[in-house]
Amino acid sequence: MDLLRHWHPVCLSRELTHRPRRVWLGGVPYAVFRTDGVIGALPDACPHRGMRLSTGRVRGGQLVCPYHGWAFGPDGVGKAPGTPQMRPHTACLEAVERDGAIWMRRPGATGPFPAVGPGGFHPVSVTRHRAAAPLEATMDNFTEVEHTGAVHWMLGYAPEAAEAVQVEVTARPDAVRVYNRGPQRPLPAALRALIGLGPADDFIDDWTSYFSPVHTLFEQYWIEGGTEARRPATVRIGVVYTPVHDDVTDIYTFVHTNAEGSGPRALALRLMLRAFAEVEVRLDASLLGRLEEGRGGLEGRRLGRFDKALRLQRQRIERLYRGPA
Amino acid sequence: MGRPRRYGRAVTRETTETLIIGAGPSGLAVAACLAQRGAPFTQVDAASAVGSSWRGHYDRLHLHTARAHSGLPGLPFPEHLPRYPSRDQVIAYLEAYAAHHGLQPRLGVTVRRARREADAWAVETDAGGFTARHLVVATGYNAVPRRPTFPGEASFPGRVLHSRDYRTGATFRGQRAVVVGNGNSGAEIALDLWEQGASAVTLVLGGPRYVVPREVAGVSAQQVSLAYARLPRRLADAIARRTTRLALGDLRPWGFREPEAGPITEVERHGRVALIDVGTIALIKQGRIATLPGLARFEGADVVSPDGRRVPADVVVLATGYQAGLAAFLDGADAVLDDRGYPRWHGAACPPLPGLFFAGFRNPATGALRESGLEAERIAAAIAGR
Repeated sequence: MDLLRHWHPVCLSRELTHRPRRVWLGGVPYAVFRTDGVIGALPDACPHRGMRLSTGRVRGGQLVCPYHGWAFGPDGVGKAPGTPQMRPHTACLEAVERDGAIWMRRPGATGPFPAVGPGGFHPVSVTRHRAAAPLEATMDNFTEVEHTGAVHWMLGYAPEAAEAVQVEVTARPDAVRVYNRGPQRPLPAALRALIGLGPADDFIDDWTSYFSPVHTLFEQYWIEGGTEARRPATVRIGVVYTPVHDDVTDIYTFVHTNAEGSGPRALALRLMLRAFAEVEVRLDASLLGRLEEGRGGLEGRRLGRFDKALRLQRQRIERLYRGPA
Repeated sequence: MGRPRRYGRAVTRETTETLIIGAGPSGLAVAACLAQRGAPFTQVDAASAVGSSWRGHYDRLHLHTARAHSGLPGLPFPEHLPRYPSRDQVIAYLEAYAAHHGLQPRLGVTVRRARREADAWAVETDAGGFTARHLVVATGYNAVPRRPTFPGEASFPGRVLHSRDYRTGATFRGQRAVVVGNGNSGAEIALDLWEQGASAVTLVLGGPRYVVPREVAGVSAQQVSLAYARLPRRLADAIARRTTRLALGDLRPWGFREPEAGPITEVERHGRVALIDVGTIALIKQGRIATLPGLARFEGADVVSPDGRRVPADVVVLATGYQAGLAAFLDGADAVLDDRGYPRWHGAACPPLPGLFFAGFRNPATGALRESGLEAERIAAAIAGR
């Protein structure tokens, strides 16, 4: 298993201050740090005596080990103050700050960077939530709408309307697309007016999952009941699933909208979206921690019409994400 | 015994009030404005579909100006699109625009020659000739790739291509890429190559150029330009220079050079709009995309900068821009073109060549599509007399 050939977000930009930070990927700890506008990422153990570099500090463009003062740059090249002729070095990762997160992979890896950025949209929020569940089970939750009726208060479809929800799954060698269309669940009139919806609109949740790294790009919009006219409001959400440990997954959510401008309505809509993303993803994350043993495996489970994509996704995770390059 | 008659398109000659060459945004806008005024016209385009320049662009491209300020006369962009529509969304819009106005350009018709005769324009195409009182040239800012050649290029073992032939960086995954040109295409193609997994990306900067972010705190570069357009030029230059530096910081450590003239003067005098950054600069500052000050020559499998730095490359993308290519078919072009080969008159009659109008040859910071719309209205008013 070689996760480092894919880009993964390992923390949010705002979580990485001038102090280094310990992050985990696939059960392995790394120290990430900022210096002169560059992001460094090193294995979180000094090659000297194994001290956690993430407990050190950044000085002169290098991460300084708190134990003996050995110091390493983002390229892994270091120096040992007590023995200047020695040229210690440590493995390093390629790290970058983009779209509000810190990402890393092995230098020279050629995995593409996931398109979770704004594209032409307006950024709303970037969040990280931790789920006590394996990557596959976490992804399952984001790629079926059947749970939305019971779990969420605004996202997705009302339980009584679930039967009417249309689900179309399209499999490509490198992607799985799911198109859902059904009646928008009842919302307070003020909220409906804010988004620009009528009382009989359909909600469309159209997403595609990719597997290097594992992520899903959602496009959510509404169609006016009767006229079939598309409403102006569009929400675009990118979700990247980072395996922290085998049974722990970080969910990075990148929310965008086409509601632009600085008027009160656009502002209120973006604030509402930000709150909505925070609340709804938090609900998912806490729910995932309550899966019974088997931890979300599909063997022996009774799957329904909403679960068609899950098997397709697992095959692709094995082949494209965990499998050999 | 007469000569055998040739049927079909080759020998026809048509007379039309106005001939529009080009069915991109500008040509479509002029056609729509004429149609709206009830003025007769014929429209031709060499390509097999409307908006061919846009179809030729790379996949990642988005409109650099906001949708709300980029609609053509008579039909805004659909509201559900993002603020900066993608290439495919622009193409879909142009198709919808043509359909909305009932425009049916004759496609696949290449103009060979256009010349002023007595009191009309004689235009020869590969599908017959046209005689027209008015000629609207809307063949586009981006008609012909500008492709410099470099010493040593012939023995370079890698691939060299113009940005016109670049679709996506996925083609070059794992390769060492060099992109030449510090315009919008160069910067965005470098970004695309990096995102798609090129193993190393180097951007070769050309001459001095301003760089601005696409937007700051939700205010787009285009909106700022629209505001500057109302100020005296010297004042606008002073403010723009200051804010440009504030927005992205001092980029000289990475080899960028600032022009001597102010940002507004740069556009007006040299037609050089600022580079609108969509994320490349952040990667350059983080050391993920390297820069070179220029490209002097190829040597073996390396590119070499004027100051002697060498970068090995598997692929070199020349984002070196385009030419209008007007002199190739327009008789008497010298009288109406500037030294860069672009028209000296825009959206208005050209005094040296009566009946001739150029549409869509400007690329102002306020937005090329927006400008095309304004020019189209003026041209249609001049032709239709209202």
